[in-house]
Parts: sequence; C-alpha cells; structure tokens
Amino acid sequence: MLELRDIHLFLDDKPILKNLSMGFKSGKRYVILGNNGTGKSTVANLIMGVERYKPQRGNILLDGKDITPLSIYERAKLGITIAFQESVRFEGITTFDYLTLGGKVKADYEEAKRVLELAGLNEEYLKRRVDESLSGGERKRIELASVLMLNARYVILDEPDSGIDMMSLDTISEIINTLNSKGTTTITITHREEILRNSDYAYLMCAGVVLNQGSPEKMSQYYKQLCDRCDHPNEILESVERM
Amino acid sequence: MDIIAPDYSKEFEKLAEAYEKSGGDTSKLLDKRVASIIISGDKIIGLNSVDGVEIESGTQEKGVWAKIRILKGKKINMPIHLCTGFLGKEGEQRVNFDFVVEDGASVKFVSHCSFPWSTKLTHKMVATVKIGKNATMIYEDGHFHSEAGGVTLISDTHAVVDDGGRYKNSFELTKTRVGALKVRVDVDLKKDAIAELDSKIRGKKDDEIAIVESLGLNGKGSHGIAKSTVVATDETHARIINEAFGNAPYSKGHIECNEITKGDKVDVSTLPVLKVTNDLAELTHEASIGRVNSKQLNTLMAKGMSEDEATEFIIKGILR
Repeated sequence: MLELRDIHLFLDDKPILKNLSMGFKSGKRYVILGNNGTGKSTVANLIMGVERYKPQRGNILLDGKDITPLSIYERAKLGITIAFQESVRFEGITTFDYLTLGGKVKADYEEAKRVLELAGLNEEYLKRRVDESLSGGERKRIELASVLMLNARYVILDEPDSGIDMMSLDTISEIINTLNSKGTTTITITHREEILRNSDYAYLMCAGVVLNQGSPEKMSQYYKQLCDRCDHPNEILESVERM
Repeated sequence: MDIIAPDYSKEFEKLAEAYEKSGGDTSKLLDKRVASIIISGDKIIGLNSVDGVEIESGTQEKGVWAKIRILKGKKINMPIHLCTGFLGKEGEQRVNFDFVVEDGASVKFVSHCSFPWSTKLTHKMVATVKIGKNATMIYEDGHFHSEAGGVTLISDTHAVVDDGGRYKNSFELTKTRVGALKVRVDVDLKKDAIAELDSKIRGKKDDEIAIVESLGLNGKGSHGIAKSTVVATDETHARIINEAFGNAPYSKGHIECNEITKGDKVDVSTLPVLKVTNDLAELTHEASIGRVNSKQLNTLMAKGMSEDEATEFIIKGILR
C-alpha cells in the first residue's frame, strides 16, 4: 500500500497542497481527477520524488515505511514509476534503446515490439530516434510503452491523454488494464470521463485538497455537477489558505 | 600489385589494430575497389586508387602529403578510406591534404586517425578543399587517441565550395581522451553552395578543446550550418567559437553549440559570432551550456537508472 499522509507542500512560498491524504492499495486502478491547476500533477511529482516536490510536512509511506526522504531513483528501485505529462526528447536514442534503457531492462526485440504496438505504434518506430523527428503524441505513446516494460508495482500516468487524439483513449484504457492484469497499481491523473470510468477508485482534487473521493460513478456525478462549471475556485483556494 | 607494400606488412598489421579500435573496417583498406591511403608515422605504407580518382603523394619533414583529385563528373560510389596512424609513443606527425572535387563529381571520405599507444604526440593536419560547381564532398573524420591524454591535435581545414556545390564535414572524438585539441574549419561558399559542419567531442580529466568553425556565406543563396556538441567532464577546458558571415543576398546561416558539463571543475565557453554585410542575408544561432537536462534525468531515474547511468545514457545519445 502506498499512502500520502497529511501532506503540506509549498512551492515558491505558495501553498500548493495542504492536509492532503490519499491511499493506493495494491492491484487497483486509481484516478486523480480535477480541473487544470488543482494540484494533480503536483501529487504525481510528489509521489515520484521529483526534487522540487519534497513536502514541508507529512509523509509518504510504502508498505508502512517512510519513503519521503528517498530520491526518484530510490523510489523507482522500490517499484514506483511514472510516465510524466511532458514526454521529453532524447537526441540520438532509438525507441528500442529507450524502451530497454540501453540494455538495463532485459527484454528482447519481440517484447519491445509488443508493448509498442499496445501503445498504438508499429514496429518501424523501434528504429526511430526519440527526438524532434517524432511528434509529441508519438513520444507520449513511447512513454506509455516504456512503463509497460518495467513491471513496476505502482505506475503513475500523468495526463496520458494530453497530446493524443480522442481515438486513443481506448488505447490508454487498454494499457491501464494490461498493467492492472499484472498486479500493478495505476494512478492516472486526468480530467477525462472515459478514463475515470475505467478505474476502481477516484480522488477529486480542487485547489490543492481532496474535495471528494469514492467510486468512479459517484465522482463522475459530483464532478459534472460541481466542477465542470465551477464558479467558486477562489473561495476554495481561500479556505485552503486559511487551513 | 598489393595495396600494402611487402616491407610494411608487419607495420600494417599493427596499424590495422589501431584502425579497428577507432571504428575502421580494415577489409576496406585491402579492397581494390576502394580507394585508400594508409599513413603510418611519416610514411605512406599503402595506396590504392580507383577509376575517377587521382592520387599523388609524397613525404615531407615529419610526415606526408597527398593530393586527391576526383575527376569531373565522376561519382565515386564507395567511400575513399584514409587511415592515419602513429605507432610510436612519442613524436610528431604532419599531414597535408589537398582535396579537389571537380565540377559535377561526388565523393565521400571516411578518415580514421588512430594514436592509441602515443603518450606524447603532436599530430598536425592541414587540408585545403576545393569543391567544383555542383560537386559534392562528404568528409567524416573519426579520431581515437590514447587514454594517457598526451596527444596534441592541431587541424586546420580551409574549404572553397563553388556554385551549387555541397560540402559536409564531420569530426568526432568521443571514444577516448582528447588530450589537447585545436581544430579550425573555415568554408567559403559561393552562389547556391551548401555546407554543413558538425563536431562531436567528449573531454575528460584535464583535456583541452578549442574549436573554431566558420561559415563564409559569400555567394547569393548560399546556405550553411555549423554545429558543435561538446561534453566536458572532470577538469576539461573547452573554448568553442562558431562564426557565420552573411555577405551575400539570400544567404542563410545557422550556428549551434551544445555543451554539456559534468563536474564542478570544468571550464567551458562558447562564442557565437554572427556578422551580416548584406541586409538580405539571414543568420541565426542557438547555444546552450550546462548540466544534462533535468527533465531527461528525472524521466530515466524514474525508470530505475541512477543519476550517473542516466547521464551517461543521455550523453551517449547526444554524441551518437
């Protein structure tokens, strides 16, 4: 089990997350839902241990052990990984090298081909370089394929649908289900109804706090009623700042 | 007649070992369909020419010279191989090349300079390049020095590319220590001529790197790109100057310098120089110096690579 307990995070002296608690049980599909700027990606970076996102208060626990001080690399070694929202370019690195991390991941050509096809790209891409010759959407698919190669315990997918066309939402759900079938816990950051429906549990965020949580159906209804046409973000933000 | 003179067969064996270390394919040096020049120290120990290629060569003080001419309209299908080696530990080697690619001809050179056993060597190379109208020359130069860091490389290339000609020059020294390096390449581009200069170098320990790449866009519609990528680690000093001079209408030049630093004792600078004397010329530049991109590092570390592993992975890609 992965837990965030009473997390307080300030960036540039501004409160970004306050009193935030979440739990992620093994083998489940989670969604963190919310409008833009509500702190969803901050939670993703916080769980992964990105340097700037170390909480000022609170703890991150993995199977009861405090992993808050651990670096990204150390957390990755414990089985946590992420497909970041922005898929970066790697000059000179082929897709095959990227998926196998230059031989660090023990997988053959067929395995790399299989995961790439699952992410919606054909075999030809294995020889292509992960650089500016690929579109953002293509790099995103390669990034999604790369997390499939790792057999991680926890996979965070930060807005996997950004930069990818509508048709690909099914692909994303298939990737989540494939990970889940291997026992991986997925934590997907999104504001897409289609991805929410393909989950077991959802957290709804607003202004850096968990506004609500529960089944995808319940959260979908709540989100549609209150968040789709939200007209009180400032009030929520002020209430958070008072906390 | 054999490509390697019998007297030099033992020396060639040793040189071939160095050549293979630098990434060369020895079989090409022995293939009579492939034009080649094999230089060891101050001697030419092997020479082969093919149809459309004329080679003159001789010795000079502490080295050799060669004039290589590609005849008008000839397309040389297989790359010409230049193998330059120095088997001793200490000394000096001077190599002068004159390349002439006549109108409408096209050729590619693959050059390997290997000094894996030299602890104190100065290698000086002076090249002149004349590329005729609508002719093409590609020159790929790979270096393999010793890990002792005692090699000093001084290389000076001056190229003139005539109307509609194309010139591509790439220099790579990434597999071994550099030692001390002073490379200068300048190109004079005539009407509609195109040039692409590309250097990739990796410095370690107290290596010293100085590069000047200069594009003279002197003909109407000429285009040029000068790009250098330097990875400086440990106590490496690197000074990179990329220049472009837009002297003709509708000429376009782009210069780019990427320097990756690792370690708090590196000393690295880059200086882009853009000068326009014709208001219809267009010049651009990009330059960056600094550590490996943190987003790239985070992405790889999140997949289980340590910072050092991730840095090495990124650097290898950049230098590929």
